[in-house]
Formats: sequence, structure tokens, C-alpha cells
Amino acid sequence: MMNMNWKSMSAFMAVIFGVMAIMPLFVGGSDHLMHILIMCLIWAIVASCWDLIMGFAGIFSFGQVAFFVIGAYASAIFSIQFGINPVAAMFLAGMVAAACGILVGLPCLRLKGAYIALVTFAVHMILEPFLKSGMGRAIGTGGSQGIMTIPPMELFGIVFSADNKIAVFYAALLLAVVCSIIIMLVIRSFWGTAFLAIKDSKDFAASLGVSAFRHKLVVFALTSFLTGLAGAFYGHYVGMLSTRMLGIDLFVMLMIMLVIGGIGKFPGAILGAIITVTANEMLAPLGPYRPLILGAMVVVLVLLLPDGIIGLVRRFIPGKNPADSRSPSG
Amino acid sequence: MKKFCLITLAIAILFSFAGPVAAADTIKVGVPLAMTGPYTDTGDNYWKGIKMAIDEINASGGLLGKQLETVRFDTQEFAPERVMQGADYLVGNRKVDSVHAGWAGWGQDVRAYGKYTAPFFADDGSQAAVDVFRENPEEYSNIFQLTDTDINQATSMFNVLMALPHEYPNKKVVIINADDSWGMGVGDTLEENFRNEGWDVALREVVPYGTREWRSVMTRIRRIQPAIIHVEIVSAQEVITFFRQFMQRPTNSILSYGYSIVPREVVQTMGKEADGLIGQVPTAMPTPIAPTPEAQAWVERFVELWKHQPQAGSWAAYSGVKAWATAVEAVGDEKDHKAVTDYISTHGYKGETGWWKWDEDNVMRGGGDVPFGHYQVQDGELVTIFTDPPVKPYMDFKFITPRWFK
Repeated sequence: MMNMNWKSMSAFMAVIFGVMAIMPLFVGGSDHLMHILIMCLIWAIVASCWDLIMGFAGIFSFGQVAFFVIGAYASAIFSIQFGINPVAAMFLAGMVAAACGILVGLPCLRLKGAYIALVTFAVHMILEPFLKSGMGRAIGTGGSQGIMTIPPMELFGIVFSADNKIAVFYAALLLAVVCSIIIMLVIRSFWGTAFLAIKDSKDFAASLGVSAFRHKLVVFALTSFLTGLAGAFYGHYVGMLSTRMLGIDLFVMLMIMLVIGGIGKFPGAILGAIITVTANEMLAPLGPYRPLILGAMVVVLVLLLPDGIIGLVRRFIPGKNPADSRSPSG
Repeated sequence: MKKFCLITLAIAILFSFAGPVAAADTIKVGVPLAMTGPYTDTGDNYWKGIKMAIDEINASGGLLGKQLETVRFDTQEFAPERVMQGADYLVGNRKVDSVHAGWAGWGQDVRAYGKYTAPFFADDGSQAAVDVFRENPEEYSNIFQLTDTDINQATSMFNVLMALPHEYPNKKVVIINADDSWGMGVGDTLEENFRNEGWDVALREVVPYGTREWRSVMTRIRRIQPAIIHVEIVSAQEVITFFRQFMQRPTNSILSYGYSIVPREVVQTMGKEADGLIGQVPTAMPTPIAPTPEAQAWVERFVELWKHQPQAGSWAAYSGVKAWATAVEAVGDEKDHKAVTDYISTHGYKGETGWWKWDEDNVMRGGGDVPFGHYQVQDGELVTIFTDPPVKPYMDFKFITPRWFK
């Protein structure tokens, strides 16, 4: 299955975000539905970053949720402990997440496949005890109780808090659009070609002067930055943080988003996030049947649509230029 | 055909967003509880009490002539956005007129439900939740806590441990608690109390939910030979595995499970094997013999319905529903949330054991007619041996020295 060309990718994203942009006209009066839409956009950023790093760069990183949480906590701490404006704190938090990404990436990227997965998942695993520890409490994580009061973002007199969901929604939409464009630019640039070359033949790519380590490290930092930014946005929106975000539920949900969207099929991850978050919320009243149905949905989708929802889209809207393929999975 | 499919799909999506339409002659009651994940056990305990109360009200003709309709929401692991989403879904979207929860977010819930007006009953047992309430008591006036805080509960546990008719061989204690807000609150308070009384906290271990391999901890416990071991991790598998591994080579230690005694599976799985364990329940319905005839009748109804003795949370959650229903009857309008809330705050509620009176923080403090209950497993069932405060033996039930003491 080939990947989308530049125009198809842009058109696909324009349709998704265009439809999202008009949704408040229909559901703007419901905080519940607006919250679902906001979470769709936040998780779309995280899932897209994960897709870039795993699906395109071929790095089996399982640390995405950890970088999300690092960004959320860092921004909350900057704004509470140091009184930094939440908007500035968000970008600083993105930098902290990027720095953590580089720190993890430096040893990690010298490893291969499953070992990278193990090390990055270890980061996920140690983050919770750290945040709850005395050291965590000393820097303002709130320990086991978490952080109960995080100031909302405020720009041009508009407060982006949970009480003003339409404003938060459009801010999240803007953030998601910007992050998606950045990811698309990376995929369609020299970097995307470099990743493809590295995946096809690392030695041949090296002979052409493509440094796998350098390219992967930069993409690790970039995705960590964007994911941290999304986490920071989440923290200021919800106004509370706890280590329960590191539960296995969220991790699995993100994996489902990728599977539904299609791994390495950007912008499928955006659609995967929207479908997964919406399905998860709609199934919530079913209690224990929710994970069962979600699990069954994944099994069916993997069997019927191995390329995710993007595969289905491609069946109905075939690409005009099949040669223009940059799918890492070929 | 394609057009037909597309139109059908569009209609289905529109309907799914619109949400179900409620019958006009029902009153909707929101029930956000953990239905999946590690807190399912406790969620189930609360649900039994809530369902019992709602079924009773419906069977007696409903509330203001209307049947109660429950709307459930799975709070999973209480991630911040899940707690917020629960409030937005139940109160914002489904327009419920009261919300009955159990463990609900330890403060996150106060913010999430406090922005609405519908009365909200939680069993957080958390000082953090009270602290959030105190930030804006007026805005959060619809929030009612069904139990006292972790700090006061742990203090009660300590007081009863000190009052046990038992001669401790030394002043060494081991405290093992879960790494969540509840576990840390209890663990920290106990540690402080023991130290203040001159005890040596020989081991303090903080463990995550899911810990089932205790052998390294047991090795240290056997070396320490503590007089008391307190375990605070409210999940059946963890505490059952702890007990079984402890029993392979037991020390002469009182095994105190605090609130961890409450998942029904603990006594249901181990039966008489668990004899000797002690634990604590806030907002307790003392069993096997209740303190009043009304309370005894309630226990019997519960046992008939669920086929076992009531667990922690069941009676608290039941009473929350009944307190709200009593207030609605008095006010005469379930939609007048402010009047209902004011009624509960000022009048309280007369339950099976006596009066429920919430304090100025809307917390049901332990004591009076609704004390902390302290239990021991005897003959495979939980038996109340003390109530607190003040610490006093309950009826004729006696503490029995555990069988593993040599």
C-alpha cells in the first residue's frame, strides 16, 4: 500500500480539520461533546508524533505517553512554582520534553528494534514512581495526589479553561493543525526520504551520507517537543494532573489509534485518534464491555484493514500518482 | 444503494450525538464508578448500595411520584480528564439531578462536579478533596463527602491498634502502603503517629497496585519480627497474596489491613483462612449484629439481596442516595438543586443507625451515630470489635489473638 502524495495528504488533512472546525456549530452547547472533540485533537497530535517516530522513522519507541506527561507536569510546575505565563510555560515544557527525548534517544538509538521499545517503555515505567517520590514532590509534582490547580492559558483576554470549551477547542485545533503541518513537512522533506532510505538499507543510506543516528535523534527530539507541547496544553486545559495518566489504559488507546489510522500512514493517525476517542467515549456507559468491544474492533480492523482506515480511503479514492510513494512499509 | 447507506450512516451518527431521550416521568441519577481497571472491586461495593437504595425508592412508588433512572459512567483509573468527562457527561449532557459516586478522584472530582449545581456524593476519604473544597466552599456547596479523611481514618486505626487487648512484644512496626493518594495519606499518618508514640517504624514500603510477589518484603519482615504489620492497598489480589506468603512463615505480628480489608473477595476467597486479620471501615454499618433494629433490618435486606455481609462503601453510598431523596421529598422539586443542597447541609439525614450530619466542609466525620468501625475476621466473616471515636468495644464482640501467634 502506497502512502499519500503531498496534495492528497494536504487535502485529507484539510477535510478532517475543516469538518472538526465546524463541529462546535452543532455540539457547541454540550460540554461533554466539546470535551470529546478537544481530546480528539490533543490525542491526534500525540498519535501523529508516535506515527512519525515509529511508522516513518522506524524507531520502536514506547515513550510517547511519558513525554506527554513530562510536558504536562513541566508546564504546570513552571506556571505554578515560577509564575511563568502558561503560554510561555507550554513552550518551555516542550523544550523540557525535547531535552528528555534527546537524553533517552542518545543511548536508545544505538540499540535496535525491541531493545529501543524496552528502554523507552522503561522511561514510561519509572516516570510514575519518580513523580510520586520525595524528589518529585520537591520539584512540585504533588506526589500521589498530583497537581490540583493549574492556571489556564490566557491570550488577548480570552481564558482557555475547562469552563470555556469552545475557545479551548479552537486553540487545540490550531495546535493540531500546526503540529500536523510540521509532521507532514518532515515526512515529505529530505528527512522523509532519508528515513525511507535508512529503513530500506542502512548501509546504502550511510554511503550516501545519510546519518541514521543524527536523523533519528532529531526526529526523537522533535516528536518529544510536540508531544510535550500537547501534554502542556492538556494540563492547562484540564487544570489538574495526576499520575493516573500513566495507566495502561491511555497507552493502549494510543496504540489503537495508530492501528486504526494505519501505522506509517500519516495522516491516518489523526483519523485514528478521532475514531478511537469518540468510540471510547460512546462505549463508556457499557462499562466492562467497552474494552471488549474496542479490542474486538482492533482485531477486526487489523484483519480487514491492515493499512488502517487510510487503506480504506485509498480503496475509494485511488492516488493519481502511485509512483509517489514514501511509505516505509512499502 | 450507496446513497442509502450514506444517509443511514449520517442519521446514525446524528442520533449517537444527540443522546438518548429520557422519559419525562423519571428522575435521572448519575453513578460514576470504576467499572474497569484496578478500582473495580471498590466500585462494585458502592454500586450494590446505590442500586439497593434506588430499587427501594422505585419499589415504594418513586420519588415525587417519579421513578429513578440510573445513568452509569465508567471512571476507569480516575485520570483527570475522565473525572471531568464524567461530570460533563452525567450532569452537563444527561442532566442528572444527583450524582452518587464512591472513590471519585480525591479532589479532582470536587472541581469537576463543583462547577455544576446537582448534589454530588463521594467517598473520597481524602484531605486533598477537603482542601479543594475549602478553596471555594460556596461554589462547591453541592459536594458531600460520605466519609472522613484519610488522616482521621489512619488516626483511628492507630488508636484502635493501641487499644487492642494485646501485649506487644516490642515497639517495631512495618507499614506497607499503595502509592496512590489514599495509601500515602494513611501510610504517612500512621508513620507519624507511631513515631510520636516512640515506636520504631522499622520498614516503610510503598508499592504499586499489582504487587503480588512479596517474598523480598517477607524476608525483611522476618528479620525485623515487628509487633504490627499494617498493609494499606485496597485490592483483593494484592492483600490475599500478601497474607498467604506471610502465612508460610508467620511472625508474631498483628496483621492490620486498614481499609484493605474491604474488597469482598478478601473474606470470600479466604474464608476462615483469613481469621485474625483486622481492618477498618469508615461510615461503618457494624456487623454481624447492627446497633439498632432499623440497621439490623437493613443488614438483613442487604444480605438477602447480595448474599453476603455489607462491605465498606455499600452503606455509605446507600445512605447518600437516601439523604438526597429525603431532601428532594422535603423540597418538593428535584430540579431545585440549591434548595436540596441547603436542606442536606442544614437538616442532615436520619438513617438506620441515627443522624447523619455533615460538617462545615460537607464531610461526614467519623463518630456519633456514624462511627468508624474496626473489624476482625472471625470464623470467615467480618466482625466489629471496636467503634471510634471514642474507641470502645462493640457489643460483646472480642478481639481474638490470631492463630499464627506462637
